[in-house]
Amino acid sequence: MNSIIYDTYTIFWRELKRYKKSRSGVLIRLIQPAIWIIVVGNIFSGTQSLIQSVGFDGEYIEFMAPGVIILTAIFTSIFGGVNTLWDRRYGFMNKALTSPISRSSIALGKMSAISLIAALQASLIIGIALAIGVNFPNPFMIAPIMAIVILFSLGFSGISVIVAATAKSQETFWGMINFLGMPLFMLSPALFPLELLPNWLAVIAKLNPVTYTILLVRELMTGVSEGGIPILLSLGVLFAFVIIMIGLASYVFTREVNKPF
Amino acid sequence: MFSIETKFLTKSFGDVIAVNDISFSVNSGEIFGFLGPNGAGKSTTMMILTTLLKPTSGKALISEFDVTSNAKKVREHIGYVQQETTVDEYLTGRENLLLQAKLNHIPKNEIDKRIDEVLDLIELSEKQNDSVVTYSGGMRKRLDIAGGLLHRPKVLFLDEPTVGLDIQTRRKIWEYIKKIHKEFDMTIFLSTHYMEEADNLCDRIGIIDGGKIQVIDSPENMKNAMGNEVISIIMDDNTSHNSFLSKLKEIRFVKNITEDGSKLTLFVSNGTQVIPKIFQISSELEIKINTISLTRPTLDDVFLSYTGHEIRDDDSHFNRRREHAKMKRMRS
Repeated sequence: MNSIIYDTYTIFWRELKRYKKSRSGVLIRLIQPAIWIIVVGNIFSGTQSLIQSVGFDGEYIEFMAPGVIILTAIFTSIFGGVNTLWDRRYGFMNKALTSPISRSSIALGKMSAISLIAALQASLIIGIALAIGVNFPNPFMIAPIMAIVILFSLGFSGISVIVAATAKSQETFWGMINFLGMPLFMLSPALFPLELLPNWLAVIAKLNPVTYTILLVRELMTGVSEGGIPILLSLGVLFAFVIIMIGLASYVFTREVNKPF
Repeated sequence: MFSIETKFLTKSFGDVIAVNDISFSVNSGEIFGFLGPNGAGKSTTMMILTTLLKPTSGKALISEFDVTSNAKKVREHIGYVQQETTVDEYLTGRENLLLQAKLNHIPKNEIDKRIDEVLDLIELSEKQNDSVVTYSGGMRKRLDIAGGLLHRPKVLFLDEPTVGLDIQTRRKIWEYIKKIHKEFDMTIFLSTHYMEEADNLCDRIGIIDGGKIQVIDSPENMKNAMGNEVISIIMDDNTSHNSFLSKLKEIRFVKNITEDGSKLTLFVSNGTQVIPKIFQISSELEIKINTISLTRPTLDDVFLSYTGHEIRDDDSHFNRRREHAKMKRMRS
């Protein structure tokens, strides 16, 4: 057990070192969520009455800011596993595989690094939201929000690591990731309240872990709960999702890297 | 005790047999080289020995641990330097070694000392805090090799350690490999398709071709077994020379002859006396000889005599098929 933690930290350390050296990407990756919050947030400002009809009394942009924070986390973490493919092609993976560290810790190290990076990106988006005037009633809530973003990204990066370990080429990877990322974001209350979704869509949304994460962050940020889903249930779903993804990613990753690339 | 031992090792990918029933053993402290052209099965064998591939059948042991059933133990005993340079470009030289040290569970209080020691050995101490992006090809390779021996493995695997490097850099790398071997007294298993490299570094060589080991011996013995001298004849035309060949074989000092197109290679023990006889026979049979030369045997000649072709002969049907299969695997 001890050595798994040590090995995971080794990979985590390496991934963060690499991230630090490629800082230029940080700003580029912020552009998209920034556009979402600035453009979409303002375009839909007229829908305030819709939002208010389900008991939310702020502006639309305040309603959707948590959705964009999670959007940032979704895309940063689901793209994050792509370097697994480079590692396999350029030999780092073989280097790690012939050393005594366990295969799972390679997956876990990558996932924890990705989730920290995703949280950093998300915190920058929180900064942007505050800068354009989103109201944040209780600044102390930032800590639990970041904890939730880190947890969620840890689970979500599992998807990325699984796809990267299974895909043999960049093309397959990006195809799969685009197929998964956008629908998971859209089928959630990121942009509109659950109550406004047609029933069948609401059912699908309730199967999506993204939904519960957004509800949690929204409640912490605005103090409004919606959809009649209690915090404990949301937390439970989030924890279960993370634990399942950790297990699944370690299993799939170990199985796949043992095959010749 | 053997450092490496394989018994009837076979690996196939679909219907292509990459490694075909290989058995050999490497003594502790020895530098053993696999010599063969691209696609001969060198890298595949090495990937089995380093636990990256599972053999289709047969057995391989590293320090008496089985590579399949006891892979974790094997990994604790080996260092593996791949053909491609695998150092992280974004990291500095020292950070790369630090990563390698952590991957191999070197005790924390030892890490700095070990890194200083190998940096000194490969003469990269001054560049250690620069990003690897600024390193030359030879420096990257040195750093890669240093990473492989940081944890002082019992067996160090070097897959084509000097491929793609220029001659001076190659010689420099050889010096480092010799230095490492002397300093740490580890078993080194290397693969190469450079004759000179095998000759220069290895205590013993296994010539591998088409997935099979053709011969294992020390470079000296191999060359001596060839006879003292080599006569190469290039003839005018490409037609069959069976009668010429059988006459040549009757000359007293001729030990072996190989035929490769219009080129004949004779392994002889008393060359200066053989040459006049060759001319005598050729004029009797009215065969025109374009050039003739007398040299000391090289490993090239050894390779030729065991495999029937030169090592540069990369485009054989077998290799093309193998490369094709490999490409398909990578794409799928």
